[in-house]
Amino acid sequence: MVSSSWVQEEVLKALPEATVEVIDLHGSGDHFHVRVISESFEGMRPLQRQRKILDVMKAHIPHPIHALDLKCMTPQQAQTAGETAFDPHGNGQGIHRHRLQRLKEEKQ
Amino acid sequence: MNWTPEELQAIIDEHDVVLFMKGTPSEPQCGFSNRAAQVIQQLGVEFAAVNVLSDARAIPSICAWSDFPTMPQVFINGELIGGSDIALEMLQDGSLKEMLDAGRQ
Repeated sequence: MVSSSWVQEEVLKALPEATVEVIDLHGSGDHFHVRVISESFEGMRPLQRQRKILDVMKAHIPHPIHALDLKCMTPQQAQTAGETAFDPHGNGQGIHRHRLQRLKEEKQ
Repeated sequence: MNWTPEELQAIIDEHDVVLFMKGTPSEPQCGFSNRAAQVIQQLGVEFAAVNVLSDARAIPSICAWSDFPTMPQVFINGELIGGSDIALEMLQDGSLKEMLDAGRQ
């Protein structure tokens, strides 16, 4: 189990100038949604962008990090991206986090 | 199947769209694998799905071969595009279809 701030620091080792947002999807310290925003992604394909991050993070997968949902975007893309977090365990099928929250609120 | 680099290469050589996933498209065992299967099915083309939970050797062998640490993994025209996050992003911006239509380079 690791903390969101630990994940953030690790990602920053790969791209020190990036903006890094980390969500601990289950509060269990092993499933994370990570949004990385960097000017340096401009002109790179999605996999090239992720490889920059994975070069550092792959040492931590599958332990202690079991799941890493990565969104790598340029500042321009981030402006229009909206909510990107995705929970892979919602009803066992994967569901967007916002919807999960809404369902919980509707039940209450 | 021994999950050797040669065997894995043969799979992506033979099929234009290959999905290595936990479970099957009809019975996915992980939310990310399910998301990748949903994305691929929206392409409306034939694809090969390989269940990496069918053999304990599968995941470590595939991850070492592709140099990508997580499942699922999507291959288009023999090239790794990434996991379910990238597959979804490329479906939404149209680049997945473009890549498939362009054929093998």
